[in-house]
Amino acid sequence: MISLQEYKRIDISKDQIVPIAEKMRKEGHYLVMIHAFINKDGEMDISWDYAVNPAVESYHVVGEMSVPSIGEIYDVAAVWPERELNELFNIQFEGLDTSQRLFLPEDMLETQGRGQIMVTPLSELVEKNKKEARS
Amino acid sequence: MSYIVPIGPYHPALEEPIHAKLYTEGEVIRDAEVFVGYNHRGIEKLATERNAIQTLVLVERVCGICSHSHALTYAMAVEAINGIEVPKRGEYIRVITAELERLHSHFLWLGIACHIIGHDSMFMHIWDERELVMDLLEKMTGNRVNYAMVTIGGSRRDVSDELRREILDACDKLTGPLNRITEIALTDKTIAMRTKGVGILTREDALRLGAVGPHARASGVDIDVRRDAPYCSYGDFEFGVPVVESGDVFARVVVRALECYESIKILRQALENLPEGPINLGNKLVKIKEGQAVARHEAPRGQLSHMVVGNGSLTNHRVSVHVPSFKNTPTVPFMLRNNTVADAGLIIASIDPCFSCLDR
Repeated sequence: MISLQEYKRIDISKDQIVPIAEKMRKEGHYLVMIHAFINKDGEMDISWDYAVNPAVESYHVVGEMSVPSIGEIYDVAAVWPERELNELFNIQFEGLDTSQRLFLPEDMLETQGRGQIMVTPLSELVEKNKKEARS
Repeated sequence: MSYIVPIGPYHPALEEPIHAKLYTEGEVIRDAEVFVGYNHRGIEKLATERNAIQTLVLVERVCGICSHSHALTYAMAVEAINGIEVPKRGEYIRVITAELERLHSHFLWLGIACHIIGHDSMFMHIWDERELVMDLLEKMTGNRVNYAMVTIGGSRRDVSDELRREILDACDKLTGPLNRITEIALTDKTIAMRTKGVGILTREDALRLGAVGPHARASGVDIDVRRDAPYCSYGDFEFGVPVVESGDVFARVVVRALECYESIKILRQALENLPEGPINLGNKLVKIKEGQAVARHEAPRGQLSHMVVGNGSLTNHRVSVHVPSFKNTPTVPFMLRNNTVADAGLIIASIDPCFSCLDR
């Protein structure tokens, strides 16, 4: 038997994020991670991955830049990933305290407080730095 | 008197950079905050510029201790997207490397814990035994760290019959010293006085805060990805998941010591039943199909997950790496509360933190 882990993608609406988190917490499932990426249509794809063993159930919300925080439900297990995604992609998690940076200082050279290098394609960043060096 | 005591980011009691602010009343810590980000290298971003084979090399550099875990988890995610079936022998070799890595990681932490509490003879004894594992890894992979044993679709290097027997012999050789180390850990007065009742994380808190790995298991949470969501042929092996209820630093010592026995058990089964056949599908460079997957692996410090998004090209569209230290570090302030400043370094170290992993 070849063992690939099961991964289930389930698309949901923004309103379902909190009820699903509450259900998962109640049933004792771990929050594996909250991820995000910009999909091929240029939309933000945010996913909440829960360990419903042996599978990972991945609940996706596409096209939203502001979503509710589940920090009240999963405490720091959710707050840290949310803070990270706020810094990486400027996703707003409603109710999340973003008064402090998690990873990166506001005065980081490349980002000037707008997030880390993730949001800019590296090639563009190289070009930008070259231009600045020339000027 | 109330004071704010800063520790780190560079501090003799810490293995890697983290900054902690301790809010104290006299010697007692009433609250604490931790600040991370001193090791951020933009590895996730770099991964989007690389193909799958280059990414294996890159993600191994996330961490010097659990480098195989990163390569393995990334490979599993790409294999899941592409529907690649790894040959059984390749999977077993992955398991052998993973368990040797767990052994050296646990020995390393046990040694460091002893060093922090001032039991340096024990530290040297444990690290001396660790060298046997490091030698095996070097012999098997060619390297002491960054083993480069994983490729997409299998393992990169085979295990010869001679090496197989040598590792089996080493399992026997390790058992004696491990018995001695465990006996000392369980009975030594110095270790007990510095670790029992120190840095407690209750089971309820561990569950609520999402602690993983030996850290969670030392708080009575019975989780282990190898058993709960078997992958990489882990379902073929019989092994236990040690769980201790007390939730203190002592429990973390005990869990890790007991896990070494389980790793040896898995190693023996994998080596004795090593299947014949190919170890990989031919070291091919694959296009990562359009789609995404999350792979999980029980790394030495706990559940490690990689999410990979492919767009049909050679490079990754997105790689998101989430490491056990990302889950365990936020629990540190909860463990520090009502302990003394003198124990802060030990409590922080007791989660076996890896800030290279955390910051990526």
